[in-house]
Amino acid sequence: MAESAGKKKVVRVDFAFRRELAEKVEGNLASFCYQCGACVGDCPAMTYTDDFNPRQIMLKVLYGLGEELIGDESYLWECTNCYNCAERCPQEVKPAEVIISMKNMMADRGQYPPGVEKVINAFLTEGRTVAMNPAIDKNRARFGLPPLSPVPMDEILILIEASTGEGKES
Amino acid sequence: MNRFAFFPGCLVPTRYPAMEFAIRHTLPKLGIEIVDLEGTSCCPDPIYFKSRDKLDWLSVAARNLCLAEEEGIDLFTNCSGCTATLSETWHLMHENEEIRDKVNARLAKIGKEWKGTSRLRHIATLVRDVVGYEAIRETVVRPLNGLNVAIHYGCHLLKPSKIMNVDDPNNPTILEDLVRALGANPVRHDKWYLCCGKACSNEDLPANMMRDLLTTVQEAEAELLCLICPTCFGQFDYGQLKVAKQFDEDFHTPPVYYFQLLAFAQGVAYEDLGFERQRFKPEVMNRFKIREPIEEPAK
Repeated sequence: MAESAGKKKVVRVDFAFRRELAEKVEGNLASFCYQCGACVGDCPAMTYTDDFNPRQIMLKVLYGLGEELIGDESYLWECTNCYNCAERCPQEVKPAEVIISMKNMMADRGQYPPGVEKVINAFLTEGRTVAMNPAIDKNRARFGLPPLSPVPMDEILILIEASTGEGKES
Repeated sequence: MNRFAFFPGCLVPTRYPAMEFAIRHTLPKLGIEIVDLEGTSCCPDPIYFKSRDKLDWLSVAARNLCLAEEEGIDLFTNCSGCTATLSETWHLMHENEEIRDKVNARLAKIGKEWKGTSRLRHIATLVRDVVGYEAIRETVVRPLNGLNVAIHYGCHLLKPSKIMNVDDPNNPTILEDLVRALGANPVRHDKWYLCCGKACSNEDLPANMMRDLLTTVQEAEAELLCLICPTCFGQFDYGQLKVAKQFDEDFHTPPVYYFQLLAFAQGVAYEDLGFERQRFKPEVMNRFKIREPIEEPAK
């Protein structure tokens, strides 16, 4: 980040990126960031990796540096979703939510890590994150529990059809 | 009887039915009547599906909340992830008219409307606030006196605290108090506040974090690690085994879901609680015996 925001290189704010992000639910929260760095100290991803820094991520969002944030190998997936950053932020920016909004932008482009896509597909197929198999109900019966009912997927798919078909709404 | 709708989510009913059994066994003894909702789906999960599209995520979550509203009762969850999703959805729908209108327009297509009449509780706050620690203590027939229990709070029970509204995220006591109600002795390990790492798509990060966390659990000489979220459970059972092998460490503290510990303290046999399926078995619990009725201390 220091390089891209450094004196020698002119940073051109990418407003298209910022506009797209702002369309997402709570995607505009970074606008309130004043770069105090309160989010940094308790961030597990900051502590345990070299490249993840929530303050810098928010700065890149403010500059609209989309190409450094989203893409096939995006480090945003290193976020542990612990919400310590949101807890510490005096401006109620919720960096974790801004990161999730950028993940939504990656999802729009079909850029998911394989593990993430697998869970999403399980949900889109059966309405649960765990795929059903006969062993599940057998194991439940051992504890006197009834078999699981199927999820009414017709209702679920109607609710999300705007984003699964053509002409995705914001 | 206090009636509450049960929102079981995905992980507990599919992977950990012993936890569901323990909930269904213990709550009626505490005066809670469980109402099962028909047609619930995944909450949906606050990590993967939320990453795909937040508005879809809110819409499916709001549908789940509507199912409890139709019964006219509040609902409770047994998973911190479900709690995060359903609490945040309730909060955003309540605070943000634009989101509420968008989501309700979608719900109208399936003949539903979110009204906000059913509130959500995590099962830990259900027993704290509706039942109370003293009433829990009164159902205990097998006190776990002297059992040293470390607590893993996990993230989504507590944070974001303005939405979850459960306890002070910097110094919570709810799970310590719940463990104390069973006679056990909560011990706080140095890195109690760390995340389980399950929601992170990097491999090394959670492994290194778990190594630090588990090292302090060993130092605290905890006999068990009590937790309240099925996702965290997986990280501390199979995940603990993996981390121990990776770093050649002697990590071995069995994780136990609180309601299984409660069921045991209420007299359910160890063999009936499904512990044999765990990588780390909480056999230390077997030193506790059901007390003779004559030993019941006078109030």
